[in-house]
Amino acid sequence: MTISELQREASHAHIHPPPQGFVSRYVISFDHKVIAVQYFITSGLFFVLAGLLAELIRVQLLQSHNTLLSAQTFANAYSVHGSAMVWLVIIPVLTGGFGNLAMPLMIGARDVAFPWLNMFSFWLFPPAGILVFLSFLYGAPQAGWTEYPPVSLHTPGTAFWCAGIFLIGVSSTITGINFMVTIIKMRAPGMTWTRMPLFVWATLVTAFLSAIATANLSAALAGLFIQLVFHVPFYDPAHGGSPVLWQHVFWFYSHPAVYIMILPVFGIVSEVLPTFVRRPIFGYRAIAYSSVAIALVSFMVWAHHMFTSGLAQWVQLPFMILTMAVGIPTGIKIFSWVATLWDGRIRFTTPLLFALGFLPMFTFGGITGVMLASVPADIHEHATYFVIAHLHYVLFGGSVFGLFAGLYYWWPKMTGRLLDERLGKLHFWLMFISFNAAFLPMHWLGLLGMQRRVAFYDNQFEGTKLLHLVTDTNVWASFWAFVLGASMLVFAYNAVRSATHGKIAGPNPWGARTLEWMTSSPPPYYNFAEIPLVLHGPYDYGKPLPYANISQDLATEPIA
Amino acid sequence: MATHAVSISDAEYEEVRSHRLLGFLLFLISDTIVFSSFIFSYLYDRSASPIWPPLGVERPGLYLAAVNSIVLFGSGVTMHLAMEAWRHADRPRFNNWMIATIVLGLGFLSGQAWEYSHLHDTWWGTVFGASFFTLTGLHGFHVFIGVIFLITVLLQTRRGVYSQTRYFGLTAVTLYWHFVDVIWVALFFLFYVY
Amino acid sequence: MNETRKQPLLDSTFWSVTVLLTVISGLLMWGVVIFPIEDWLPEASSVAAHIDFLFRFMAFFGVPILVYVSGYIIYFAWRYHIRKGDSRLAVGSPIHDHPGLEAAWTIVPSIIMLILGVLSYIVMPKYYLASASSVATIEGIGHTFYFEFRYPGLAQSVDNDLHLPVNKEVTIYLTSDEVDIRNAVIHSFWVPEFRVKQDMIPGMIVPIHITPVKEGTFRIICTEFCGVGHSDMVGRVVVQSQADFDTWFKTEQHMQTQGATKGVTISITGGNATAGGQLFAAKCTTCHSTGAFDERKVGPGLGNLFHDTNHPKLVTGKPANPDDVADIIEHGFSGDLGTMPNMQVNQLTDKDIANLIAYLESLHK
Repeated sequence: MTISELQREASHAHIHPPPQGFVSRYVISFDHKVIAVQYFITSGLFFVLAGLLAELIRVQLLQSHNTLLSAQTFANAYSVHGSAMVWLVIIPVLTGGFGNLAMPLMIGARDVAFPWLNMFSFWLFPPAGILVFLSFLYGAPQAGWTEYPPVSLHTPGTAFWCAGIFLIGVSSTITGINFMVTIIKMRAPGMTWTRMPLFVWATLVTAFLSAIATANLSAALAGLFIQLVFHVPFYDPAHGGSPVLWQHVFWFYSHPAVYIMILPVFGIVSEVLPTFVRRPIFGYRAIAYSSVAIALVSFMVWAHHMFTSGLAQWVQLPFMILTMAVGIPTGIKIFSWVATLWDGRIRFTTPLLFALGFLPMFTFGGITGVMLASVPADIHEHATYFVIAHLHYVLFGGSVFGLFAGLYYWWPKMTGRLLDERLGKLHFWLMFISFNAAFLPMHWLGLLGMQRRVAFYDNQFEGTKLLHLVTDTNVWASFWAFVLGASMLVFAYNAVRSATHGKIAGPNPWGARTLEWMTSSPPPYYNFAEIPLVLHGPYDYGKPLPYANISQDLATEPIA
Repeated sequence: MATHAVSISDAEYEEVRSHRLLGFLLFLISDTIVFSSFIFSYLYDRSASPIWPPLGVERPGLYLAAVNSIVLFGSGVTMHLAMEAWRHADRPRFNNWMIATIVLGLGFLSGQAWEYSHLHDTWWGTVFGASFFTLTGLHGFHVFIGVIFLITVLLQTRRGVYSQTRYFGLTAVTLYWHFVDVIWVALFFLFYVY
Repeated sequence: MNETRKQPLLDSTFWSVTVLLTVISGLLMWGVVIFPIEDWLPEASSVAAHIDFLFRFMAFFGVPILVYVSGYIIYFAWRYHIRKGDSRLAVGSPIHDHPGLEAAWTIVPSIIMLILGVLSYIVMPKYYLASASSVATIEGIGHTFYFEFRYPGLAQSVDNDLHLPVNKEVTIYLTSDEVDIRNAVIHSFWVPEFRVKQDMIPGMIVPIHITPVKEGTFRIICTEFCGVGHSDMVGRVVVQSQADFDTWFKTEQHMQTQGATKGVTISITGGNATAGGQLFAAKCTTCHSTGAFDERKVGPGLGNLFHDTNHPKLVTGKPANPDDVADIIEHGFSGDLGTMPNMQVNQLTDKDIANLIAYLESLHK
């Protein structure tokens, strides 16, 4: 295509008049950037609540038979902690937060395909969260975030849980559809698939999972709700139903869900690394296509959560093989990211530190994941603290570290101000050390006999020589979990302080090359004065900026 | 939203239309997944059960369901004819076929309601009943929304919202109505035949 | 910004670091091989050693992956970070792929995974296929919150006590007791020392096959959340020589044919209320409060057990007096609200029961 043809194509993206008034600008907003901030604030609030529940759990586990919490309250705490972290924090912040903030800018669009639906998706989120927490008044869930029947049916609060998660599921599905259409149809002229930034690839694949997998959760939740409220026997063995049916339908969604929780982070890391290493990402195609492979295979491994549920051996075997197989594309990404560091010109900013911290922790979580994939090994490890350790390595060491990398990276774009580097580094090191100290020992706690979801662990180790070791390990883990919680305060202080004391960022403080950095910080509501025209991929540091109608002055020298 | 159809350029409308079409198709796919999930549950419970239908449950009558299905598939035909009439700019025919589709849709719903009222109460307590009512109920709900959608689109045509070349709402309701038919094929087979 | 790179692709420092990482990996891999798992968790069943081997295999290959990934990150971060005085505009290598390297790091892990898959597949049937030598079939039923075992030849079941003769394969059928959805829960039967776990699912009966190979007492831990007593649901499996097992079996048979006991058979005089109070806090508060009758957790509040004119009868229909309360503690009770375990399950001695009665009497409001 000639430049003039590209320009003609771009001329359709006209600019709407600006929104007026406080409500249109900040409350009922159709601007993806404002909606992103709304998601960040809401999921940040739930992160604090779910985090406090986690600290409560760790206080209880300071003693092997602590009378601080009843077994009931303890069960409520871990159930809402898990449910909130998955559905009210990680998924919304990575999709609704980062997806909305960065993706439309990165593809050179003015907004997403369906801005009204985007606004609607967000406004389903606060009521969903309120419903989940309202369950505390009526008997909160006690069977974990997985809420297996029949025991989950013994608590009326499960109905609130079903309703809340259903709402956030609808929000997730709509966002998925919205983002898929946006990326497929609204990329700037010249932005072919292989010139697309890797975060956009990640968002596309995640959106696919959100749109397709979440529908299954809606059906499962509806079944549980109907059974609870109307006594209809979907999962009731006495009337032809089966508790294992719930496990199938729940995990058919929830396994792809864990990829929803990590693929955007893979995208973030793929952006942060080239920027602070100032060289192309290694293995662009491998990273892009492996994401697609992971998404497709993720639908075929769900029963690896059910190896002790009485499945026939011939059923377990393919799930084991496919679960092992899905580790290969993930490994490819990790090796590619490490290779990106080679012969770079590295600047140790906070976003880079979080990305570098993510790498070994997610690798470790991946290795323990393979240990869980093998059926015979899983038989011993299932439903123990080994699984809790694994899931926190991938969800905290992976998703949370990754999201902080993204937050520190895009904070200047979102707010116009830089976060303080020294506070950021303090946050990173506190979090990295305390997280590993707290969760590494949980692997052997599980292998030695501590199962999940227990308020007391004296019975399990009485009479063995292990009680003392297990108690000490739990005290150690709790101490470091408190430090981990405290490390968040450093970030909170930094965030608030940046409003008045943060350095002004300018359009491109990091000297990056993707399109979001080719406009002001924060961008005007219409994102770009002219829709960019894309000539090449974005990672070729050392060459001129690959956009026809953007000033080369934007290839700025990094501030940090 | 609909006013854009008149006020923007052809090229821009084409862009907007292609976005909406893709979005709507993705929505129909995710809706299919919801039905598939319930269908999976039904088949799982059925394969785990030694006898089917369970003791005390008589299959619902095939005759009524067959008649009702013909009504629904008939409405699919009339929907297609309405779309054709629109494309040939034959407004009177279009109106007639649209009204026929709406009437047939309501007819299907009435048939469903009649069938429900004649099924045994105890059905709810069995897994057959659970699956039957959930799936056909969800489908019926979709038909109900579809009828509202059809009425809305018909009213929109009277208000001149669509033009001879710009009529995405009409395309969408046609797709939706055919989707509802396809789902019914699956459900009819599962509950009344298999 | 068009710097051209003239350095060799991988220099001697890189290779030195690689050698160092290889040495570190090697040491840790050797550590994995020699680590004495059995010192921490006995390998008490025929399948345990195989599971431990698989685990070692996975750790063996996991270690170098982690060491190389972390090691190269640290090395590259140190080696390639810009120093003071360097321009922040400096650009790194333009290389963006290397087909050979990418092929290598795809194929080698795939081969390791394949081997892991095959090894896992070989071990899998050891749980699920009975050999012809299975000597007995025992039924294991999960209750809230204890394990019930039914042995062939014993009239009554034994709670929380699984006795097995060493070196003989047994088949255990596992299920969960309640099928009524209002009470039913999933439990799980886990013996860490056996490396065996199987969920106990209402409406399903799943067999497992175990050949214990070490004598000793091991733990049965419920590993699927089943309600407020989940943490307390721990039983024991006692692996004995055939002779000792036969002795136990005969004794059990004898005790059971003495007839089902009705009424309290132990002395409850002279109990210590303070000791009883401590015992109550440790064992009973999961299900009972010391408040009024209606302050129900699972069972009723026991604060006014002996003098409550609104509730003069116990759940057994007997009047609320010390002997009949002791009867319930001794023999347990099963009813609509759930099951109260007997003294054996709760690991109470006769003296404990006397102390508890004394304590409950002291609660009179």
